[in-house]
Amino acid sequence: MSATVSLPTGSRARRRLLMFEPYLYSAPALLLVAATTLIPIVIGISYAFRNIMLLDPTSGDFVGLDNFRELLRDASFWNALKNTVVWTASCVGFQFLFGLILALMLNRPFPGRALIQATIFLPWAIPTFLVGMNWSWLLNPAIGPLPHWAYALGLMNAPDNILSDPDYALWGPIFAGIWWGTPFFAITLLAALQSIPREIYEAAEIDGAGGLERFRSITLPFLAPTMVITVLLRTIWVANSPELIVVMTKGGPADASQIVASYVFTQAYQGLNFGYASAVATALVLLLLVYAFLLIAIRQTMLGRR
Amino acid sequence: MASIDIKNVRKDFGPVSVLKGVDLAIASGEFAVLVGPSGCGKSTLLRLIAGLEDASSGEIHIGGRRVDDLPPRDRDIAMVFQSYALYPHMNVRDNMGYSLRLKRTPQARIAEIVGRAGAKLGLEALGERKPRELSGGQRQRVAMGRAIVRNPKAFLFDEPLSNLDARMREQMRFEIRKLHRDLGATSVYVTHDQIEAMTMADRIVAMNAGIIQQVGTPLELYDDPANVFVAGFIGSPAMNFLTGEARRGETGVALSVGGKAFCTLPQAVAVPEDGRVTIGIRPERIRIGVGAGQAVEAAADLVETTGAASVVHVDLAGQAMKIFTTERLQLSQGQRIPLAIEAKDVCLFDPAGGGRLR
Ligand SMILES: Nc1ncnc2c1ncn2[C@@H]1O[C@H](COP(=O)(O)OP(=O)(O)OP(=O)(O)O)[C@@H](O)[C@H]1O
Ligand SMILES: [Mg+2]
Repeated sequence: MSATVSLPTGSRARRRLLMFEPYLYSAPALLLVAATTLIPIVIGISYAFRNIMLLDPTSGDFVGLDNFRELLRDASFWNALKNTVVWTASCVGFQFLFGLILALMLNRPFPGRALIQATIFLPWAIPTFLVGMNWSWLLNPAIGPLPHWAYALGLMNAPDNILSDPDYALWGPIFAGIWWGTPFFAITLLAALQSIPREIYEAAEIDGAGGLERFRSITLPFLAPTMVITVLLRTIWVANSPELIVVMTKGGPADASQIVASYVFTQAYQGLNFGYASAVATALVLLLLVYAFLLIAIRQTMLGRR
Repeated sequence: MASIDIKNVRKDFGPVSVLKGVDLAIASGEFAVLVGPSGCGKSTLLRLIAGLEDASSGEIHIGGRRVDDLPPRDRDIAMVFQSYALYPHMNVRDNMGYSLRLKRTPQARIAEIVGRAGAKLGLEALGERKPRELSGGQRQRVAMGRAIVRNPKAFLFDEPLSNLDARMREQMRFEIRKLHRDLGATSVYVTHDQIEAMTMADRIVAMNAGIIQQVGTPLELYDDPANVFVAGFIGSPAMNFLTGEARRGETGVALSVGGKAFCTLPQAVAVPEDGRVTIGIRPERIRIGVGAGQAVEAAADLVETTGAASVVHVDLAGQAMKIFTTERLQLSQGQRIPLAIEAKDVCLFDPAGGGRLR
């Protein structure tokens, strides 16, 4: 301390060094992140402005916004975008709804709860690829029972495979996705439910709140932060997950069940058009970024009000 | 305001019997304190009255009406929890007004009632705060406010002060009593702290292991305990218990400890056949010095002082005993001191069942 007072010039240099100190410490980590995350993203996005056909050695020229202009005219892309909304909203919506119901049921003790809980969480442990295979078999009238049951119940005019029906093909992967993703919501919501002190419910019961009112005025406010963050994460996750669709319908028939993520996959690895695929992917990233910022803003205002 | 009558109530959790037949009548407007060691079933009894738990058998009446089958909200009671159980996402005013809002009371009327309760508890400036922005004592007050606002037939308190520091506890004790004096509502107050019980209660209900041991005013329990449990639980420092012998003689019942004469009780007192008894005497009733009665000699062991008073630990024929005195004594270890013990201060207990011998 006394040294810095007696040497003002030295102390200034020292202070400047101190200013950089945090950056010096974090530099290795930042470099690592840049090398492994940022650079691939930038390169990937740069493909969107080039004409890269994997099997065409003369390709690779810079084409400006051509890929994006084509994108705007591409009916398959717009259909995939519409399907992405349907796919994501139905998957996340039903996963959330069923997960919430399961969590509420599992939150109260009953005989055999541990066993049922373990069974319910099982789908989450199964690889998506297998889930997709399993459901395509279940939906296939040649080997699976579901079309016959739906026919017997009068839900279908004939025991057909919905995966080959352009109007309904998307619903096959949606069923599988709901089945697979429900446990995620059940687990996280159950954990949040169990952190609500029992006495708060009892106080409300004495104050005269019925079951519905207690759910509205205690359970919901307690769960809201968990709900928002899980829905936000799952929405991005589900919108970005083409596995079930690729496995079950390959986006078909005739791109009818394509979502943007699976369309990227098809363009890149079946069309081998990396430039165009990258433009589609960039569009998807932009849309999801807008969505993420919206939800984070909602969450901030909600936390502010608490 | 209403009386509370509990008739032969039992409560089992699976194979565990927590309340083993409780009979209790609490008069309208009375401040009754349920006291007992941890796990004796105090909270369970309170929760049965509130309706948060169903009795395995027996009847509960509030204001003459049987309430066993009514849900908590129809029993017209208010409860203050140990954890306060405030609604964390509501501000102080909404916490207090919640029950009124559920009853569809007009906004203006809610504001008026909540305002009045808040003023009574010194919460006026805190109306907009959330519970997490309050101190423990303030949360405690909000919990009380929430109870007052409902204007219930009875208040139930479950160890409401146990999360506060000693000074705050003393103050809240006083405030709760004052509040009870103002409102005059029947109150059942659970605590494991016998000082709280002594200072607050109109009547104390001493419980142990799911059974009511004694019901009476604080001084009744203090002066005339029904058994070893009550005698040992009420009072601080606790009553001394000595293993002794009782022999009926010409002049009365002579008590001896370790073969040495201790004191002589009147003939009327009951004595077991074998003469073995537990002798109870409160530390503050023992005088150091030679008195009118027989002098008993003990050896000083250790003196603890709080400033206002001292506790002298002594050894009487191999048994430890405490003496509470306001005198300032200089005693060395092993020093022999005479003790004066009067027959009226001695309680006799049956060593087998712990019951009082009278
Ligand atoms: N829901 C329950 N299931 C099983 N046992 C219970 C349940 N609630 C309470 N008990 C048991 O009943 C006994 C009495 O519990 P209670 O909460 O009434 O004690 P308490 O007198 O209030 O004690 P404390 O002073 O510690 O609060 C305890 O042994 C406890 O383990
Ligand atoms: Mg308790």
